[in-house]
Amino acid sequence: MRLACLTLLLVSVCWALPFRQSVFLDFMMDDEPGSALPEPLPPSTRRPPKIPKGPGAPEIPEFTDIPLGPVCPFRCQCHLRVVQCSDLGMKNVPEDIPVDATLLDLQNNKISEIRENDFKGLKGLHALILVNNKITIIHAKAFAPLVSLQRLYLSKNLLKDIPANMPKSLQELRIHENQISKIRKATFAGMAHVIVMELGSNPLTSSGVDGGAFADLKRVSYIRIADTNITAIPKGLPSSLSELHLDGNKITKVTADSLKGLKNLAKLGLSHNEISVVENGSLAMVPHLRELHLDSNALTAVPPGLPEHKYIQVIYLHSNKIAAVGTEDFCPPSYNTKKAMYSGISLFSNPVPYWEVQPITFRCVFDRSAIQLGNYRKK
Amino acid sequence: STMRVLLLFTLLLLCHAKPYKPIKIMELMKIHEIMQQDDRDDGDDDDDDEDDDFDDFEANFISDCPFGCTCSRRVVQCSDLGLTSVPRDIPADTLMIDLQNNDITEIKENDFKGLTNLYALFLVNNRISKIHPKAFQNMEKLQLLYLSYNLLTQIPENLPRNILELRIHDNKISRIQKEAFKGMQSLHVLEISANPIANSGIELGAFDDMATLYLRIAEAKLTAVPKDLPSSLTELHLDYNKIGKVEVEDFIRYKNLLRLGLGFNQIKFVENGTLASIPKIREIHLDNNKLKKVPPGLNTLKYLRVVYLHANSITHVGVNEFCPTKTKAKKTLYTGISLFANPVKYWEIQPPTFRCVSGHRAVQLANFRRK
Repeated sequence: MRLACLTLLLVSVCWALPFRQSVFLDFMMDDEPGSALPEPLPPSTRRPPKIPKGPGAPEIPEFTDIPLGPVCPFRCQCHLRVVQCSDLGMKNVPEDIPVDATLLDLQNNKISEIRENDFKGLKGLHALILVNNKITIIHAKAFAPLVSLQRLYLSKNLLKDIPANMPKSLQELRIHENQISKIRKATFAGMAHVIVMELGSNPLTSSGVDGGAFADLKRVSYIRIADTNITAIPKGLPSSLSELHLDGNKITKVTADSLKGLKNLAKLGLSHNEISVVENGSLAMVPHLRELHLDSNALTAVPPGLPEHKYIQVIYLHSNKIAAVGTEDFCPPSYNTKKAMYSGISLFSNPVPYWEVQPITFRCVFDRSAIQLGNYRKK
Repeated sequence: STMRVLLLFTLLLLCHAKPYKPIKIMELMKIHEIMQQDDRDDGDDDDDDEDDDFDDFEANFISDCPFGCTCSRRVVQCSDLGLTSVPRDIPADTLMIDLQNNDITEIKENDFKGLTNLYALFLVNNRISKIHPKAFQNMEKLQLLYLSYNLLTQIPENLPRNILELRIHDNKISRIQKEAFKGMQSLHVLEISANPIANSGIELGAFDDMATLYLRIAEAKLTAVPKDLPSSLTELHLDYNKIGKVEVEDFIRYKNLLRLGLGFNQIKFVENGTLASIPKIREIHLDNNKLKKVPPGLNTLKYLRVVYLHANSITHVGVNEFCPTKTKAKKTLYTGISLFANPVKYWEIQPPTFRCVSGHRAVQLANFRRK
């Protein structure tokens, strides 16, 4: 093990990258025009080069050639199958990425374009991290070789569209903070393995999101579309969803219809929107919800349906316009009704004076400290 | 998963640590197995009908994952959430935390309290200017610490000792204080580029007793090759500095160097005999400097395969500058020599100059750069 590791380290560290060139004015050329990068010969077939004899050439010494090990782009670190090339100011995806790489980290560079052959042959790649570059263009075939890719991180780039032809094997897609304004119905077609989807901080609008755009994500459990311009909860989200985060948008109301079928939803984040109404029957659509964030909205009343809901334990309602809280707003009428105890209720920064809220209102709360009532935030 | 692979990376790095300290291989294998398990992110999804029992309420009361984060297989992914502080309720058995791309300004004393199993901590791209001196206490297992793209003005105090890779790229660090890395014999990869570090900012003894293999101090304010870096280095990258020359004593300490990056400096000359200090070198980048001639001594470096000299002021290339002259001398063939964007006229370079090159495509000569 030790020897193997050391050898590998050595080999990866000392590997030299061959050149590619397309413009070459040379005098010792016997080159085929238009030929690309020469394939390195296997060590056994390597021969010393043909050496032209010129006037005054010294006697030709004996040259040896070390067998070729795996390649590692200069300044990157290649530790077995992880290729770490972050923070290098690279303008392009480097050549000579070892073909057996499983993780390629290219974050914090200056890559502006992903070209057709940038990932050629990387069929074992599991994770591709391209966060914080300047990518505007991704060639339609660029991801085609990546048949094993599970994680694709494209956050903090300049993409105007979600790339076409992403690998169907993908489990996690992060395209936070780009310039994406539309999600088309075909965008996620066939991507049945996606579990986590992060699309926040893009200039999305509700009209730019096609109905059923997420329908093919049969296994998705986490979707985040925060800090965009959408005005409504996207319709037709997959029933597999257990977390939905839509904070920082311009959503004006929660309709029962928009939550229809989300029977596995456990966490719903709707903070920092413009929600004034939660429709009757909305919470009944999400029977397994445990945590609901509705803080920093324009609610004038506690959302209906909480006493009947069996699992909600955390509800954030602070920074709204709630002027009154009734004794039946949170808890069922009797102690014997099955209801998960609340572990967190926040009501501060609402017009309702705390002394007008009757203590019995919180009869199904686990602990007094679980309630934040005052007009200041508990530290 | 990504993190699984990163874990693997950790593992491999630990392999490197082996000559220096024993590793607890069984423990690592266990971690590795955890990461190898099914990728499905179903950590939160424990809502089934059993929950109907009142007895489970208390169990549910304990929050399993910070809101908005995804937690799967002991990896807590909280990037891109606009967090202004480290979330509470990070599960105690967590192995990795990804907090990059948030708005965290400060790491407080108890932010990571109790996370004694943590292997990797990613805090890249926040606004961290303060780290409490005790914030990393009891992180004996931490291997990867990424602090790049923050506002730190010094190397954090009391870094966990067993770290293998530390990245503090693009912060505001101007000084590397003495004993900044004290006791960190396992630190093999150190990336502190894009900080305003001048030679005078590296205090004497800052790197004492270290066994670092890869060090990059690029995009800094260095005017010379620092002489007190760890002698164990196999890779040294000092590109994009203001180094004006390379002198005989510069590399005396760094006998193990395999790769050397000095591109994009202002190097006018490489003193005679300098390169003899680094006999194992495989690759040298001296492109985009102010060299007037090919550095002396290249033809004595047995293992040198790649040398970048493009975009300099080289006016002449002698027939023996790259390849040995002695009949018995052995030399690895070059796979890359770049000389383009120099004043030297390619037709004045004699063909035998490149007699120890593996194929003519390995030489880039033309006076313009390919696109």
